[in-house]
Amino acid sequence: MLLELNNIFKWVNSGGQRIFLLKDINLQVEEGEFISIMGPSGSGKSTLLNVIGMLDGFDEGEYNFLDESVHTLKEKHRANLYKEYIGFVFQSYHLLDELTVQENLEMPLLYKKYKGAERKAMVADMLDRFNIVGKKDLFPAQLSGGQQQLVGVARALIASPKLILADEPTGNLNSQQSAEIMELFKKLNQEDGVTIIQVTHSEKNAAYGSRILKLLDGRKV
Amino acid sequence: MFKNNLKIALRNILKNKVFSLINIIGLSIGLSAAFVIGAIIYYDMTFDKFHSDSKRIYRITTAFLSPEGDFYNAGVTVPLAGALSDLNMPELETVAPFFTAYPLRVENKKLDFSFKNPEFVIYADDDYFRTLDYIWLAGTQKEALSAPNTVVLSEARAQIYFPDQELTSLIGKTLIYNDTIPALVTGIVANFTQRTDLVFEEFLSLKTADVQDMTSAVVDAHWHNTNSASQLFVKLTPNASKIEVQKVLDGISKEHEAKERVAIGRSNSFYMQPLSDLHFDSNYNTFDFDDQRASLLVLRNLGLVALFLLLLGCINFINLNTAQASQRAKEIGIRKTLGSSKKQLIFQFLGETLLLTMAAGALSLVLANGLLGIFSDYIPAGIDLSLYYDALPILGIVTLLLIVTLLSGFYPALILSGYKPISVLKNEGVKANQRAGLRKYLTVFQFSIAQIFIIATLLVGKQLHYIMKKDMGFKTDAIAYFYTPWSDPAPEKKERFIAKLEALPMITEVTLGGNPPASFSTHSMGVLFQQGDQEVNSDLQLIYGDADYFNIYGLQLLAGRLPLNDTIREYVVNQTYLKQLGIENPESIIGKTFKADDENHPIVGVMQDFHQRSLKTKIEPMAFTGDTNGSRRSQFRVVSFKLATEHSSQWPETIAQIESIWKGIYPASDFEHRFMDDTIERFYAQERKVSVLLRWATGLVILISCLGLLGLVMYTTQRRIKEIGIRKVVGASLLQLNMLLCKEFLMVVGVAFLIAIPIAWWGMYNWLQGFAFKTNMSWWVFVGSGLAMLVIALIIISIRTIAAARVNPVKSLRSE
Repeated sequence: MLLELNNIFKWVNSGGQRIFLLKDINLQVEEGEFISIMGPSGSGKSTLLNVIGMLDGFDEGEYNFLDESVHTLKEKHRANLYKEYIGFVFQSYHLLDELTVQENLEMPLLYKKYKGAERKAMVADMLDRFNIVGKKDLFPAQLSGGQQQLVGVARALIASPKLILADEPTGNLNSQQSAEIMELFKKLNQEDGVTIIQVTHSEKNAAYGSRILKLLDGRKV
Repeated sequence: MFKNNLKIALRNILKNKVFSLINIIGLSIGLSAAFVIGAIIYYDMTFDKFHSDSKRIYRITTAFLSPEGDFYNAGVTVPLAGALSDLNMPELETVAPFFTAYPLRVENKKLDFSFKNPEFVIYADDDYFRTLDYIWLAGTQKEALSAPNTVVLSEARAQIYFPDQELTSLIGKTLIYNDTIPALVTGIVANFTQRTDLVFEEFLSLKTADVQDMTSAVVDAHWHNTNSASQLFVKLTPNASKIEVQKVLDGISKEHEAKERVAIGRSNSFYMQPLSDLHFDSNYNTFDFDDQRASLLVLRNLGLVALFLLLLGCINFINLNTAQASQRAKEIGIRKTLGSSKKQLIFQFLGETLLLTMAAGALSLVLANGLLGIFSDYIPAGIDLSLYYDALPILGIVTLLLIVTLLSGFYPALILSGYKPISVLKNEGVKANQRAGLRKYLTVFQFSIAQIFIIATLLVGKQLHYIMKKDMGFKTDAIAYFYTPWSDPAPEKKERFIAKLEALPMITEVTLGGNPPASFSTHSMGVLFQQGDQEVNSDLQLIYGDADYFNIYGLQLLAGRLPLNDTIREYVVNQTYLKQLGIENPESIIGKTFKADDENHPIVGVMQDFHQRSLKTKIEPMAFTGDTNGSRRSQFRVVSFKLATEHSSQWPETIAQIESIWKGIYPASDFEHRFMDDTIERFYAQERKVSVLLRWATGLVILISCLGLLGLVMYTTQRRIKEIGIRKVVGASLLQLNMLLCKEFLMVVGVAFLIAIPIAWWGMYNWLQGFAFKTNMSWWVFVGSGLAMLVIALIIISIRTIAAARVNPVKSLRSE
């Protein structure tokens, strides 16, 4: 078992009313799964993903990640946990504009205290694997959206996480680029055994996954 | 990690060129001021710190306490040294008396060289060299000065007196002082290489003075006379208590006090002045009169200016960086999701700040060098950038840079690193306005300081103008004067001089008299005026002259007549004296007498009040009298002359002619003349310096504040560009938009004005208390300075707001 959510509730108070963002969510994820979360806008997809990614907290319930109970951990330990095991891929890529492709890839490694030579090797390996060696010295603004997202995925993968969380990874891409990224995910999942949870609007993309989770108004349906 | 952060920092700095430049310039103005002022403070603080045992060395000085006020003399009565050594106190390692002397001439007969007026000559004995460590280049310290007619020279002086000779070969050579005093060279000591106030170059043995005293201080040895030439240094034994020594000194002064002085509440006491205080204690002089000594007050004020400039630079930094924070929010969010901790982010941002600070620091070193050049008149000559090569200043600079980095970088770093990644990544944006409150406070602070500086500059300038332009009560225009030499009082020579001057075409009036009506010197006597049963004691200032003197300076006689001739002492007193006596009608005092030295002196006239010194002081009771002291001690030694006003271009020529006449009559002395207007200006040398420094400081403060304001305006207009577009589309005019954008900044300036007024008023009120005659603290100065600030701010703001308001709304409203 990679992670387990038990009776997760998350709400905000607005005008004296409690508005539920997540309501009684239960979810078990095994290693090697490829899960797609679907649902209309405002159904809580991204919130759930952020909770799983430990970027956001929740108000009630239990969250165990690799037998650690996340809800009792302190901020610092939680950061260490996701730093080590989780990689993020965003809809708008979120690459740092001031850094080149190569430097963007290197950044997560800096925070994990890898040695210089090691970092170089890992970055070179990633560039090679994603066929972007020729682009290593370009800045994000010089790349197409698909290429940027490729870098984004590479950055998420570089520290060999157990879990990749992708929030509408193809939302800003055209259909051909989308297909390429989804193929990449599928390959990673099947060949490298990386667990993937993605949020998506498209049935087609969801079909790449092994399991689909549908949300409506913060509830599983 | 470090390299990566450095790279990011550099790219960020380059990306925001304008902001970076504003940051760097603001900081470097503060830093360069801090460097220069720090150098001055360091320079002044490191005087006489190098002597071994310097902590145990004291100078004994005298304080005279009286009901009218205390005054101080750096010397002590001559017998004190003997009395102290006779006690053989275990606390005192050495007792070293010495006497400053001013020989007229030193001759090296062998080479037939003669040197006029050598400076820094003292009579000392071997104890002097036991108290202070000198390096002996020739001869030995032991008994160098125990015999009469011996002298120890400094290396520098020896090279002047005996050019091109081996130092060791000089031992046993002879110098002749004042034609009659032979002195055998027994030693050469190295000059102190570090900063010192002990600037002596020639050390004659004290025993020489017992027979041949050039100062007349040494033989004039009794307890009731204190001469500043008579100096006394002591060195305490290690661990000795200063308090014990002070007790003994108190005992001695008690034992020898004069009963008649005690009866009128006067007393004197000896004071142990630590060697380290020599450079600062303004009560007691040091030995080099040309040297501008530091006052702790001035240093403190300079320090405050540097502190303010630095603070303003830091505030700019905080303002701009928190304002810009939202631009970096995305980076922070990404870094956090990729595993950066808050601490790592803080260090990253502090690192960027450090980079900017170091750039500013490097720029400041260049600026500081320039400042040292500009302010060379205000800065002791020994200060230049080489001071920074010492370990302590380098340490100081590094510490300062780190402090500035922390001060300006920590708060923005804290704000930036506190962003929640989730809100950033959800594209919610950061509510940038949440910190606007603090930024406004900081800007208000900046502008309050700028406003205070402006008001102070204006009022100091106004006061200076007032005192410079205020009628002194006598004529100063085109009048110059010079002193005839002390050493040559022969009246025939003066008369010959006057006659020759009168013959010069450009000179309209000439007179021989005493000091001009207003001068730095004072001469006074205590007088007693009896009126019925009432006795009034006064201290009467004296000026000496004849009818010509009265005319040339345009003094006004209100009643009576001038003194008749040189044989009878007659006095013309001023109105202030009458006021002191309580007499209103000037006529009624004519023919009365006052008593001085048990003699009655007749009052023959009353003259109108005029200012005898700077307007910092009040008009004192004064009397005008003729020259009655006989030719030897004549007070008539100043030649005043008036030049033809309509031919001012020919004045330099005339002065040259006077100088050539001087050469003919007094070949042994140098000619030095002074215009009356210059003398009056010199009264206010200190204030003028303050004024110039203040103007610079004000300029810099305004510059820094405006840079900060500009940064804020740029940021705000950028953020509101959409709002501006919408307003424009619905019909707002350029002016309306400009007003809208300016409003919030002008509020800030207005609030700063309100805060500044009371502080500036209070500070300037106190400063003006130093003057007996004050300019008005007019309301228009305050209002004017406020308006000036407003206009400056408005211009700065409008540069950006107008540009922003002119942007085509189609552009600003187009969504991406």
